[in-house]
Amino acid sequence: MKKSLTLFALVVISFFTFVACTQNTELTSEGDITITFWHTYGDSEEEVLLNTVMPLWNAAHPNITVNTVRQDGSQYHEMIVTSFATGNGPDVARIDISNTASYANQGGLVALNTFADFATLSATYLEGPLSTNLFKGNYYGLPLDTNCKAAVVNMDLLESELGLTTIPATMEEFITAAASRGSYSINVSGVGDWDLYPYFWLFGGVLTNDAFTQATGYLNSQDSIDSINKLLDLHTQNIFTIRDIDGTADAWAGIQDTYVMFFEGPWYGFSDNIVASTIPTYEGRSASVVGGEDIAVFTTSEHQEAAYEFAKFMTSEEVQLAMLTVGQLPILKSLVTNAAVVSNPKWSVYMQQLESAMARIPSPNNDEIKTIWSNAMTEIFLNHADVATTLNAAATAMDAELD
Amino acid sequence: MKRMLLTKKRLKKGLKGWLSALPFILPGLILVSVFILYPMIFTIQISLSDYRIVTGEITPVGLLNYKNVLFETKEFWYAYRNNFLYAIVTVPLIIFGGLIFSYLVNNLKKGQTFFKVGFYLPVITSWVIVSLVFKYMFGNSNTGMINYLLVDVFHILDDYVPWLYRQWTGNGAIWLMGIWKNMGWAMLIFLASLQGIPKELYESASIDGAGIWNKFRYITISAVKPTIYFVMVNMIIGAFNVFIQVMLLTSGNPNGTTTVLQYLLYNRAFSKFEFGEASAIGLISAVTIVVLTIILNRTFLLDQNRNGE
Repeated sequence: MKKSLTLFALVVISFFTFVACTQNTELTSEGDITITFWHTYGDSEEEVLLNTVMPLWNAAHPNITVNTVRQDGSQYHEMIVTSFATGNGPDVARIDISNTASYANQGGLVALNTFADFATLSATYLEGPLSTNLFKGNYYGLPLDTNCKAAVVNMDLLESELGLTTIPATMEEFITAAASRGSYSINVSGVGDWDLYPYFWLFGGVLTNDAFTQATGYLNSQDSIDSINKLLDLHTQNIFTIRDIDGTADAWAGIQDTYVMFFEGPWYGFSDNIVASTIPTYEGRSASVVGGEDIAVFTTSEHQEAAYEFAKFMTSEEVQLAMLTVGQLPILKSLVTNAAVVSNPKWSVYMQQLESAMARIPSPNNDEIKTIWSNAMTEIFLNHADVATTLNAAATAMDAELD
Repeated sequence: MKRMLLTKKRLKKGLKGWLSALPFILPGLILVSVFILYPMIFTIQISLSDYRIVTGEITPVGLLNYKNVLFETKEFWYAYRNNFLYAIVTVPLIIFGGLIFSYLVNNLKKGQTFFKVGFYLPVITSWVIVSLVFKYMFGNSNTGMINYLLVDVFHILDDYVPWLYRQWTGNGAIWLMGIWKNMGWAMLIFLASLQGIPKELYESASIDGAGIWNKFRYITISAVKPTIYFVMVNMIIGAFNVFIQVMLLTSGNPNGTTTVLQYLLYNRAFSKFEFGEASAIGLISAVTIVVLTIILNRTFLLDQNRNGE
């Protein structure tokens, strides 16, 4: 009996001693700091990050080692949420602009405007991308890269199917030319905010007031109803198709031989025939939606100053220009007219389109707002619900989610 | 006085017994407490609170999370309905198919291993891989195999169908995947059970003039009845744990009509940070499974008693 108890006690003590010993295995020399940076860059972006950007950092900050960790994009949000609970998250991370407010609301991000140089630094950023970090009077990140949707056009089909030799400046011209074709000329993937907002805004729809505090009177206004009716009309005329509703081909596949135009970010797939252009205006109005990423410092970080230093470095001119080579549009005012941007036919289009691009509603309840929007659009386009009634209900539901 | 001494002696003996057993049961007890009891109690606590994941702040809110889950949106009821529909549609088909195929394989003179491996392959294939294959099969336009066959090859339909973005075709794809993936497991369990039936029973039945159907009905079915119960309970519990195929095939679209409880739970916790509501959904699922298992248990036990009478 005594023997087994002693044996058991020994096992327990050994276990806890082992656990205690494994707690501090990372040995660093005095003054040296190691921080972790999470990102979801693709292959080409990661190559530039590792081979161009990180050597610059290492040369400038020999005492701060940055572990760059590429995470799976599809489960990135979930990984960050889990890391909040476990405390095993990164010190600094590249996050989607639509999530900044919700992470800040959970207390997961450090308010960067508390750092002394923030005011000077923030003056160098473009207003739109910077504003995605603002939540309840504080900035919880720095803008890292930006993008928006512009028109992607198949020039061959534009000529052979619509009889146009140049991309029309107005949507009215495009619609008139596409009306007689009899098959879909414009495609959108789904009914989500990123997909439909540019069309909704282009045809005159309004989501909320300027302060993003009220949807009633805006989302259900006559302008918004007319905008959705315009889309329904184009859908009925076989000009505009929604992949998820109609079962039609995906945008990038369809633009090769079926669709003449769709709106998309500056990703890939462009060629001499598939070109980027600013979105044709409708009633003299242009519209697009802002995308992009912020870089944020996590409250769970033990080296918040070093993490902030790295975040600042990632928004510096040399890093922004390096990342531009792989399609990450810069967020610095000083680079808007830079030769590298202006001389590139694709980047220049997107930078020009950014001028009329609008941000999605910045809110910690972003996911709920997205759901309200897509549910309403599904009701209208799939279940043929009455537009005014559906938008009324959506506006009331959205009001409850806005601050 | 004597009685008191006796009780004291018994207590001492009992305590001594417990103390000698303690070193053996303690590791298990610690593991159960840490990995089962504590999470369970913590889940109940969170379901009654507003839980902030970063700070760990827990503010009691009573039954608010349950009220929100049950009455604020239609999604929960779609999910609840879909879990029941999944069980109602897939469990009988898995049992029926598993039984038929196991019977056929059991009667094979040659090639049993080949068919066993063939039927079991879907079971050991990753859910993610199978989901991607199904996503390709039910894909839009001519990039989806079913659309391509129905529209471009056989001209049965005029237009492509977004199978995964419709309530019933989306649910149908989820059910089909569940049946295809689980039938091999049921077949193997039934096969093991069938191999335990004495051949003499079939021989005597043949001498008595019983045909294939009667032998199947009166010998095979009777012998595998407990196995059918085992497979049924496992499959019903499994039906309330459906998750991966919903996440990868439909994501609950359109408008939550193809969602299920586990996906809804995941969505509430990780997308909306509503950990209280997610815990409430988890507990409602758990209670439902327990109640269903008790009902099934009682039904089958009653059946056994009746047989014994």
